[in-house]
Amino acid sequence: MRVSKRFVGPLFVLPALFVLAMLVFYPLVYTFVLSVTDPAGNYVGLENFRTMLDQRLTSRTLQNTFVYVGFSIVFQIILGTAVGILLNAKFWGRSGIRALIVVPWVIPGIVAATTWGWMFHTEFGIINYMAQSAGVIDAPVGWLTNPSTVMPALITVNVWKMFPFVAIMVLAGLQAIPEDLYEAARIDGAKLHHEIYFITLRHLRPVLASLTLLLAIWGLNAITIIYAMTRGGPANRSIILPIQIFRQAFEFFQFNQAAALSVMFLLITGVLMVIYVTVFAEKE
Amino acid sequence: MASRTRSTWPIYPAVALLVVITMFPFLWMLISSFKQLSELYTVPPTWIPVAPSWTNYLNVLFESNVPRYFLNSVIISAGSTAIALALAILASYGFARFKFRGRTAAVALIIVGQLLPTAAIIVPLYVVLNWLGLLNTYLGLILAYLILTLPLSVFMLISYFRGIPVELEEAAIVDGASRLGVLLRITLPLSMPGVVAVIVYAFVTTWNEFIFALCFALDSSTKTLPIGLAEFTTEFNTDWGAVMAASVVMTVPIAILFLAMQRLFVGGLTAGGTKG
Repeated sequence: MRVSKRFVGPLFVLPALFVLAMLVFYPLVYTFVLSVTDPAGNYVGLENFRTMLDQRLTSRTLQNTFVYVGFSIVFQIILGTAVGILLNAKFWGRSGIRALIVVPWVIPGIVAATTWGWMFHTEFGIINYMAQSAGVIDAPVGWLTNPSTVMPALITVNVWKMFPFVAIMVLAGLQAIPEDLYEAARIDGAKLHHEIYFITLRHLRPVLASLTLLLAIWGLNAITIIYAMTRGGPANRSIILPIQIFRQAFEFFQFNQAAALSVMFLLITGVLMVIYVTVFAEKE
Repeated sequence: MASRTRSTWPIYPAVALLVVITMFPFLWMLISSFKQLSELYTVPPTWIPVAPSWTNYLNVLFESNVPRYFLNSVIISAGSTAIALALAILASYGFARFKFRGRTAAVALIIVGQLLPTAAIIVPLYVVLNWLGLLNTYLGLILAYLILTLPLSVFMLISYFRGIPVELEEAAIVDGASRLGVLLRITLPLSMPGVVAVIVYAFVTTWNEFIFALCFALDSSTKTLPIGLAEFTTEFNTDWGAVMAASVVMTVPIAILFLAMQRLFVGGLTAGGTKG
């Protein structure tokens, strides 16, 4: 039996869409239902939201989330772009180095977390030892236990893990820039920083915009590093929204309040996703 | 006169610094994994293990749950990759070759699936898996992992299929082949690099995944390697030697797989990424 031509395309697409709908859209709808009901299933309006917003922890969480994601993105983009530009230059061993620097990004997040956790160890960590030998600090710093250093330490790990991805994307963007633009600029006597500013960064702008949004969405979602290194401590100084959702659900077993947090979380990421889809789906 | 190329700026020191930053944690992981506990807990730390020993590796491989977790990881990653691949091949072909009503909406839905923060749906997913009796089963994790792998796999393959000339397919269709036949016998064999990229991507993503496994795998019958690594760390005591050895054990296969495939993988990913 031949299928009418009109339906061939949709038939190919349908199985994947069905699976995604079951796994993503059904749970999404269910999150909203859970967020406005109590454990017995009775409608309670915005009660769960009120309970969560009244907790002082929630405002601390939101603040931490923005600090963690914001600073991570800034350093990931700066470092990633610089490395992308560096790896686009011609030098001996270039393809080997390009492959090597991507390794932090492909390894499991948990491995990055435990390895850096050991390096940040207060008494026996290599970082305290090297910083003390170099005279940067006088006494060992409790990087992950001191409320004022825990965020910078976690951001460092996150940047180390993700900048290779930025670098590779930037590199792909750079390779699309015609070489004669640079040659023309050099013949006109342009300095290196002129080239980087007027040619390289101008052409990279769309790539960097798309990367910033992607990094924001992934950063909001990144539980592994913080969960494994500090579980949100000390004194909730490093708790971010996804970790609070996890704890509310699987440590305090308050699924409805966790769902209310999830809805707030979805609203934040939803804004980013709408921007991403409207800006970048046009080209598809 | 201005020169046409630039070679004056200090590339090599910058490259050396870059290699140190990216590789030092791995070096320290490797060094630490061969130290015994007494040597790990000494100040100042030693750069070369004084009494190198395989104790940590033997602990990890024979006295912990790691071998079982390894088996679980292989089954779950392979299962999820296979399903994602099959669904993604069909869907990408549909998107790459056909125009139909609702196509834009369908693409948008898949993008949402790709960007959706998994943390936002762990709670309802837990409830749904519990209801279906799939908590703490291989199938439950395999299905959950499709959320992570399916959307990007679709985008990677769309861009690959687009690069294959339609004329090849048209000739076969004139000869009476069905669309599915054309996909399986002509388009797919020509897309092998893209398919391999999808396999590597999906396998690595599921192999590394942490939070779903933490929530949906309840005991050693389904827990995966990343959970095993986290279990060496308890609130009061961490066996750092075992942790470092287990980290090496987890890093090496992924690093080898990636370095062997990196040209394909990076190529496929940047194609999917810039299109998506």
